[in-house]
Amino acid sequence: MNVWNLTAEKPSVPGADGEALSVSQAAELAAGALNNIPKITVLGEVTGFRGPNARSGHCYFQIKDESAALDCIVWKGAYAKRAFDLRDGLQVQFTGTFDLYKPTGKMSFKASSFTLAGEGLLRQQVAQLAEKLRLEGLMEAERKRRVPVFCTRVAVVTSLSGAVINDVKRTLRRRNPLVEVVCVGAKVQGEGAPAELIEGLRRAAAITPAPDCILLVRGGGSFEDLMTFNDEALARAVAACPVPVVTGIGHEPDNSICDMVSDRRCSTPTAAAESVAPEFSELVHVLDTREQRLQAACSSLVTGAVSESDLARERMERAMRVRLDRLRLVVEQASRRPCLTDPTNIVDRRRIELAQTSDRLLLAGDRVQERFAADLEQIAPRLAASTSGFARKRHELDLAASRMRATGAQMLSAPMAGLGRAAAALDALSPLKVLGRGYSIAYDGAGAVATHASSFAEGDALRVRMADGDVFGTVTSVQTSGAASSEDA
Amino acid sequence: MADYKNVEELTYKEASTELELIIRSLESGDMELEQSLESYTRGVELLKSLRTRLSEAEQKVSVLLQDVDGTDRLVPGEPADDSDALNL
Repeated sequence: MNVWNLTAEKPSVPGADGEALSVSQAAELAAGALNNIPKITVLGEVTGFRGPNARSGHCYFQIKDESAALDCIVWKGAYAKRAFDLRDGLQVQFTGTFDLYKPTGKMSFKASSFTLAGEGLLRQQVAQLAEKLRLEGLMEAERKRRVPVFCTRVAVVTSLSGAVINDVKRTLRRRNPLVEVVCVGAKVQGEGAPAELIEGLRRAAAITPAPDCILLVRGGGSFEDLMTFNDEALARAVAACPVPVVTGIGHEPDNSICDMVSDRRCSTPTAAAESVAPEFSELVHVLDTREQRLQAACSSLVTGAVSESDLARERMERAMRVRLDRLRLVVEQASRRPCLTDPTNIVDRRRIELAQTSDRLLLAGDRVQERFAADLEQIAPRLAASTSGFARKRHELDLAASRMRATGAQMLSAPMAGLGRAAAALDALSPLKVLGRGYSIAYDGAGAVATHASSFAEGDALRVRMADGDVFGTVTSVQTSGAASSEDA
Repeated sequence: MADYKNVEELTYKEASTELELIIRSLESGDMELEQSLESYTRGVELLKSLRTRLSEAEQKVSVLLQDVDGTDRLVPGEPADDSDALNL
């Protein structure tokens, strides 16, 4: 580079001696000068940011301040390591070096890293804190306490010197003067403000009787002014406050962390004041409605009672009527019965019946007598007639008897004569007749007729039949023919 | 007669709540007639008191001040300035 340095006493710059340089030489010269600038950090506002280039992934944009602007490049690799997305309007600190792109002669600042600065940094920190508290569940809808529709006692924690406290008082007086306002003073911005507000919340919650809610309010201001309400300790105090907290901080678009963790978030202090109590006219309307309801309920109760008693009376009367009618009917039926209408009729009828019965009895007696008389008359001739055949029958019997006798004698005479003859013959032949002539019959011990002497032995029993009886003896000896025999009788 | 607190001793909200309860029980219709008439009388009394309070309401403002010994005490404060009243 020092080819053009022809003098020794002062550093030579090529072309400084008026000799013309080529564009390339000039550009080279400038590039060299830029390269000599060490790595620096530049604070500026991002502008013209259109996101990473669709093809290359590099980011090309500008950074500026009130009076100057610089082209800025963030290579794809550096942008990938970013902690947040770049966008227009952000205050960012870029660290890098200058570079000259020789083909176009454009100078740009190549940022190798960048961090948020100023409000951007604050906003990022706030967002991180918000995320942290959200993850802890401090913003869950379920843990938010219900703020009464009509808070009659409200503590206002804010600066007592600002216009805000008067706004709140005026709003509440106009809207609903029944709301009692207790003012609790605290610094709302600057050093020590969060601590004062935390103490204010504590004191407000400790008031007896306890307020229905606490208004944590502050008027509009810059982002930095409102940073007090992004304080972590204050946010935790709001979430932990035993009394419901209603916030109204700044103006409509402002949203602080206290707003996120409070039990109700309103966009302004006035809105917060309006939210804690119903409009006076609403109360009047409520009372009107209640009066009507009271009247209606009571009159419907009375009407109900009247119609109930009417109904009861009607039912009672109807029941009584029915009962009386039934009794009357019974009485009428009873009175129509003959025993009451014509008592003699019964006696008369009985008398007639009796007379009829008596007549029937007499007639029946006569008839029975007559019938018996007639029967009797018929029976006498029949009795007489029944004995008329007796004489003839007796004669027939007599005849039959004599004939039977004659026949019997006739029948017996022939057999009787035969029988006499037989008896005479039998008598003539009887052995007993022989016995009469001196013969006898001997029987052995067994009773058998003994025909031989040898059928006996000495000592045997012996019976002898005689004509007029029996002789019993014992054999003393036996002697067959040809031998002497002796016999004891 | 049920034990009713003196109406004037009730706060607006207490009176208002009691009135609402009375109306609801009257509207439910399962009250004895005598009891409902008694409730009605009480309701009318409450209503009257509430209306009076509305018509006579004045904002009450106090300020919580810390004494030198550190204890808090309430002192009456300025009601809202009504300089803007005509502009409403």
